Amino acid sequence: MDFLNRHKGLKVIGGALVAMAVLPHVISVPLATEIIIYVLFAMGFNILLGHTGLISFGHAAYFGLGSYFAGFALRYFDASVWMSLLWAAAIGGLVAAAIGALAIRKKGVYFAMISLAFGQMFYFMALSPLKKWTGGEDGLKFIPKLKMNYPFYLDLSDHISIYYFVFFVVALSLIAMWRILDSPFGRQLRAIRENEDRIQACGYNVTMAKFYSLVFSGIFSALAGGLMTVNLGYVPVTSLYWTMSGTVVMMTILGGMHSFIGPAVGAAVFLFLQDSVMKIIDRWEIFVGVMFMVLILLFREGIVGTLQQRFGARTSQEAAEG
Amino acid sequence: MFGIPVEVLIMQVIFGLALGAIYVLLASGLSIIFGLLDVINFAHGTFYMLGAYAAFMATSLSGSFWVGVAASVVIVMLIGAMTEYFLLKPLYGEWPFYPLLLTFGFAVAVPDLMKALFGLIGKVVEYPEGLVGAFIWGGVLVPKYRLFIIIFTAVVMIALFLFLKRSDLGMIIRAATRDSLMVNVLGVNTSRIWTTGFALGVGLAALGGALHAPMVSAIPDMGVEMTVESFVVVVIGGLGSVGGAILGGLIIGQVVSFVSLFAGEYSQVAIFFAMAVILMVRPRGLFGEAGRL
Amino acid sequence: MKRILIAIVAMGLVLGMSGAALADGAVFGTAVPLTGPYAAMAEDMKKGSLMALEEINAAGGVMGKPAKVIVRDSMLKGDVALRHFKDMAGQGVKFIGGNLSGGISLVANEYACKNHLLYIAYCHTSLPLGKEFCGWGFTAAVIPYQTTAALANFAFNKLGKKWVSITADYRWGHDILGGWLVNSKKYGGEFLGNIYHPLGTRDFSTYIPKILALKPDFIVLSNYGTDQTSAIKQFAELGLTKKLPVVISKTHIVTIKETGKAYNENVYGSVTFYWGLQDKYPEAKKFVQKFWKKYGQPPSADGEAAYVATKSLFTAMNKTKTTTDVKKVIKELVTMKLHTPKGINRFRACDHVREQSVLVVQGKGAKAKGWDVATVVAEVPYTETLQSCENNKKDIPYGAVKLPGK
Repeated sequence: MDFLNRHKGLKVIGGALVAMAVLPHVISVPLATEIIIYVLFAMGFNILLGHTGLISFGHAAYFGLGSYFAGFALRYFDASVWMSLLWAAAIGGLVAAAIGALAIRKKGVYFAMISLAFGQMFYFMALSPLKKWTGGEDGLKFIPKLKMNYPFYLDLSDHISIYYFVFFVVALSLIAMWRILDSPFGRQLRAIRENEDRIQACGYNVTMAKFYSLVFSGIFSALAGGLMTVNLGYVPVTSLYWTMSGTVVMMTILGGMHSFIGPAVGAAVFLFLQDSVMKIIDRWEIFVGVMFMVLILLFREGIVGTLQQRFGARTSQEAAEG
Repeated sequence: MFGIPVEVLIMQVIFGLALGAIYVLLASGLSIIFGLLDVINFAHGTFYMLGAYAAFMATSLSGSFWVGVAASVVIVMLIGAMTEYFLLKPLYGEWPFYPLLLTFGFAVAVPDLMKALFGLIGKVVEYPEGLVGAFIWGGVLVPKYRLFIIIFTAVVMIALFLFLKRSDLGMIIRAATRDSLMVNVLGVNTSRIWTTGFALGVGLAALGGALHAPMVSAIPDMGVEMTVESFVVVVIGGLGSVGGAILGGLIIGQVVSFVSLFAGEYSQVAIFFAMAVILMVRPRGLFGEAGRL
Repeated sequence: MKRILIAIVAMGLVLGMSGAALADGAVFGTAVPLTGPYAAMAEDMKKGSLMALEEINAAGGVMGKPAKVIVRDSMLKGDVALRHFKDMAGQGVKFIGGNLSGGISLVANEYACKNHLLYIAYCHTSLPLGKEFCGWGFTAAVIPYQTTAALANFAFNKLGKKWVSITADYRWGHDILGGWLVNSKKYGGEFLGNIYHPLGTRDFSTYIPKILALKPDFIVLSNYGTDQTSAIKQFAELGLTKKLPVVISKTHIVTIKETGKAYNENVYGSVTFYWGLQDKYPEAKKFVQKFWKKYGQPPSADGEAAYVATKSLFTAMNKTKTTTDVKKVIKELVTMKLHTPKGINRFRACDHVREQSVLVVQGKGAKAKGWDVATVVAEVPYTETLQSCENNKKDIPYGAVKLPGK
């Protein structure tokens, strides 16, 4: 499944950006804003899962720390919105490097569990011992009303302006992500996913490649977290809780982890479905859980993967004929 | 503020042991499942919760706590066997994380299903008659029910070891843990062994839930934290090692107990620190095999 | 790929249309945690609110048109609650409410302040205090410290003077501990020590040796939900609840049910409403009977608060003849009489707290039957528990307390 065909890939990104640009005119704006933030989170997460083949159940740590550090910058240091996002991304990269140094050598399952445990450690730290700064269970509040001063003035409490602000950052990030994954480094990651031992035998430093993959993933996830802070004007402590990691795993698998754009589709469909179903029934978790199990049993490649399998074959045939 | 006499320290050890016993039950089950199936059971806490609910049902129908505990283990083992057979079996041989993800979906759906079936309000399981209250030995307060949990868990663990070391089935399970392909070649139906192993593992979780139920009541969301904490225990002990799970459980029990004594608010964060420290000193866990991971 | 995009956009269009224009007529938008550990209590809030709506609409609605209550699942997450509120505000909803978490309640209040919406909290909340209060938020329950004032009055007179406290280590727990310390001084109590525990603690036995070593007259337990259940069950396991009274800063009928026999005559707690009040107030009787008949269970304090909040809001809209002018509705809410199941109450004009009593209930242990799980032993009027407006504005004396270990 060579999804990184350059010509097709650019079309895919272009399509995704167009879809995102019209999204707030189709569904409610706050939901759309949350969707594109999770799009970035899920795609950042997928650098590790889909592209490198490592599963982490602790990505809430990067998202949540990104949220908190953006919040700290805004609340305690009067930082600008741009600066706070930079902070968020930087802290994501640093923490990912620290966790990577400890855990990246571990094989898959161990890594999954260790990342989960580290994630929970951050959650409990924020919840109790560090609540003087984090606000504990209340979350980080009293972040002033946000605005963007550079390059032009924008009132970020307006729903549409915050949407397009987030959209701009997400779009830039997706393009950056594309550049990273479309490089020899990106190809090396996918080779590791397919056959780690072989790549090792070929003389590549597998551990370092995985390490960088985790760091990139941490940076993008934390950036998504920072955007969430800018969007909400507040940081909930649940952004560090492990169910957040579980949610991003579900989104990614739902959309299709073996496709560049899959996690984005997954995030959008997941949040939209969740929002719609919870309006109808209170016990919507049954629905989500069962849907996820059916997905794993029958449609392992997720929405995009399954659609590609169905229609992709035909298109390539058409292309061959044409 | 608090001077700490020796009696208090001894009591703390006993409470830590009782707390550790619950972790031992859950983690050993998790370890058996992982050793045999290479599956990290994200629904382990869910089966623990199901154990508590099954104990509630059986206790209220039969009127006896002991029947309740026994029935709970049997019922959950059956549910576990069916889960493995219908949901996990189709996923073997695929990417190793699919079974893990499936159990995650299970853990999302089932607690909510329990809310739909049994109502949102948790169910009370009373302490068995005769085990309420405490002995006092020279200033040391020993709660009867905790003492029972410690002894009972010890008995169960010894039985488990004897079963794994001495019985034919146990031998096959251990062999399949090492190399299931070879066991299959030798003419054993490994598929059935996997089902048995999964049922055994979740049965231990259910036992933990049933024994814990009088202390915490049966509540649909009770398993969420338990899953993560049993992960920590098996990571400390070494994945796939039952002995490691036991040692890990006991360590975590004492860590929580003593941190509660000195700095209550750190009692939860402490277990994750304990894990980080042990991993730095001994990366594969206490009893983990070097080659395996 | 194009096909997928078209499909997605088309799906969105179809579904997007259906959600538009919520705010046609009188709309009250609420979010409560229908999933997660407080689901039972949230469900009760939902029921109370919907019952009030039904009564309003049966009596002709608001300004001749049927009113509407939106109930969304906040999942006990601040970000989700906030998204729902933004969503509603984006569609013109000006009146929001709900909650079960004091933390999320303050966030919702902050959002209402920033965007000039009216917010009504159904749960115990500190929103009338200090810099949290901005004039847009209402409290249909009480301020956390009020329950300690009510309980302290009872406990220090009836149970003894020496007390030890077990406190959940978060904002609400700290507020409550501060409340106890202030009232302990007032009633001549002797504070022996406090233990903080993290939220979500399941094992309380490890704290017990420490408590017993201090030999208190009673234990103050300040946590909520499953933490509370576990703590009481484990005290009972040691036979502690047989000899040592436990005073619970805030309890709930759901928790009493979940705790069972262990919640015995030695366990006291505070609530703002218990269905047993129907023997005291005819209004309560009408309310409880109707609720019970409709939903098969009696209303909890949460159900009552949601009912009162919803009913008062729509009544105020009817009186002012507006469904959009928030300021007018606020003015009406603080001047009108609230006809509640507990008789006539008011929202205090200066900080929008509902002037209502706090109940002290006592468990029934093995004698509990069905929903008959507690006895009301005292009803403490608001005049004894609520601080003056000036004090609330400065958040004294409670906010000024130095907490042990903090």
